[in-house]
Amino acid sequence: MHPVLVGLSHKTAPIEIRERVAFREEAVTSALAALRRDYQIRESMILSTCNRVEILAQGRDDEEAIAGIKDFLYRYHSLEPDSLEQYLYALRERDAVVHVFRVASSLDSMVPGEAQILGQLKQAYAVSGQSGAAGTALKALLPSAFRVAKRVRTDTGISQSAVSVSSVAVELARKIFGSLKGKSVLLLGAGKMAELATRSLVRSGISRVFVASRTEARSQQLASLFGATSIPMADLEERLPESDILLVSTSSDSYILGPETVNDAVHRRKYAPLFIIDIAVPRNVNPRVNQIENVFLYDIDDLQTVIGANLRERRREAELAEEIVRQESERHMQRIASMSLGPLIAGLRGRLEEICLAQLEPGRQGMNDTDSTRMEQILRKTARRIAHPIIMEIKSPAQDPQRRLHNIQMIKQAFDLDKGE
Amino acid sequence: MSGLLFNTAFAFYVAGLGFSTLVFFSNKTTLFRLAVITVGIGFGLHSGFLIASAVETAHFPLTGLRDSLAFFAWTVSLCFFVSYVRYRIRALSTFLLPAVAALMLGTVFLKASPIKPMLSSAWLYVHTPLMFLAYGMFLVTFVAGVLYVFEERELKNKKPKTFYYQLPSLTTLDDLFLKFLVAGFCFMTAGLLTGIVWAEQDWVNGWHKDPKVVSAMVTWCIYLALIYLRLTAGWRGKRAAVVSMAGFLWVLFTYLGASYFGGLHQF
Repeated sequence: MHPVLVGLSHKTAPIEIRERVAFREEAVTSALAALRRDYQIRESMILSTCNRVEILAQGRDDEEAIAGIKDFLYRYHSLEPDSLEQYLYALRERDAVVHVFRVASSLDSMVPGEAQILGQLKQAYAVSGQSGAAGTALKALLPSAFRVAKRVRTDTGISQSAVSVSSVAVELARKIFGSLKGKSVLLLGAGKMAELATRSLVRSGISRVFVASRTEARSQQLASLFGATSIPMADLEERLPESDILLVSTSSDSYILGPETVNDAVHRRKYAPLFIIDIAVPRNVNPRVNQIENVFLYDIDDLQTVIGANLRERRREAELAEEIVRQESERHMQRIASMSLGPLIAGLRGRLEEICLAQLEPGRQGMNDTDSTRMEQILRKTARRIAHPIIMEIKSPAQDPQRRLHNIQMIKQAFDLDKGE
Repeated sequence: MSGLLFNTAFAFYVAGLGFSTLVFFSNKTTLFRLAVITVGIGFGLHSGFLIASAVETAHFPLTGLRDSLAFFAWTVSLCFFVSYVRYRIRALSTFLLPAVAALMLGTVFLKASPIKPMLSSAWLYVHTPLMFLAYGMFLVTFVAGVLYVFEERELKNKKPKTFYYQLPSLTTLDDLFLKFLVAGFCFMTAGLLTGIVWAEQDWVNGWHKDPKVVSAMVTWCIYLALIYLRLTAGWRGKRAAVVSMAGFLWVLFTYLGASYFGGLHQF
């Protein structure tokens, strides 16, 4: 049995709906209890983020469970069924499995490959476990989902390329310099965005930060934040050759850096690459600087272009990830199916052994102990031999599920196996 | 025996080239592992061929254009492995493996040449391998230079495409470039020196007017200039790539074209 899933996400519902259906963190436990109490839901889990609200549940019957969850959502959030129904999706069996795997692997996210959703899913599962709402069905599905997500993350590049301004700045710096250890960054002007980018750069191993700002106080503040050295604006030309990365964000409304200055600096750097990030609007660095050899000048639009390209790259990798999810969900379905065959197989083996041993009874009187034990051994072995091909046949993954179900029914009837359950 | 080894090595190289081309276009990392393993097997078989044919004919297969093409292919794939183990640059295979395959293919059209008496000297086994190792390294240098230019262009145009996603940093490529340049130069210097000693011992006077010797000297000067400019004037990127291309073209001329003008290196 696979759990069912009812929910809505950024793909089906606008923010106005999502925010009305969201569950507050502290309300989840009581909501899980209500599902169990009022709707005979045996297992349940609620995943509520700003982009999706989904309830994963196992009831006595799939349709009953879906109807129950929908009713619960309407009542809990005091919404008219008509106003919500159109945004909801309800998934069962394989569809539900695939969906959970895709969500965990961040394939259903707004930004594919973002890492948050997996954490949120783990959290939701943990809460469900603590509330005693996670049983065999959820315990079979979610750990698999986490494993699939991990595989997607390591086997594809879906979460590798940067998709925010500061992470793109770091990515570009890495593309130019490789390791950022021992590299230095010079901050020119000190806006909020520059601070964010510097933070990312420092976290990625940049060792020295210099700050030059018109406002002395802000300069000092940044200096203390990053252990940076504060330098006067006038020293810019002198300091430029020592800097590998230049981060410009002053409020000047004209260019403060032109090709001549940069050319001179690069020459003094012996043509070691120089990476200039100009996040000021209007721009502070003359775009012609980009034409100088070994100088890479990026303005805010250029960074956005890279983000766009990276998103396309992530979507390309997402196709590989979809393939992994397809394989893994297939494997999961098979594993679950073979797990539920366990009792049947044990029952069949036992029944055949019983039948064989029964044939021994009439002749047992005339035998001594050694002979009867030997005969018993032979008969048990025969029973196992007969059971083997039948078991192999129903276990065979090549069989289509409909036929397998039919075969199982037939075996159960023929050997009278249902009575024990 | 050696023929079979050679042909299977060739087949494995071609298969490896096929896999690595697929990787370049589909970006499937798992497939690349397969490519490296396949080329690795090819390289192993190729080494086996060199040993087997040395045992069979009682001399190392280095004495004609056909042998030397195969040996050149071997040094290129050796250089590929060394650079791959150290730098893990997948795109290198896209450029180096076709060279290996082309060199191997070249041997198919050539007949084994008889051994010239003047080659039966121990110097052959020192001078020639040194030169071909240097050539292999210069090919890596050239490829690294070209990759640098490709990636630099994508970074300058701010249009991240294939190379941006497939290549390591510019600094890494530059490091690979410089290391193989210097190593190749050292090998070539050693190769030239042993050649001179050999020539002084065995050859007629006037070896220094031999076209191949002159051409090799020019190659040596080009790479010397490149190292000098790289270290003192910081030449990298396009300029360095152009010079390394010129250098490698000159290598090819020295190797394949120079004997056209006569001289002692007639094999």
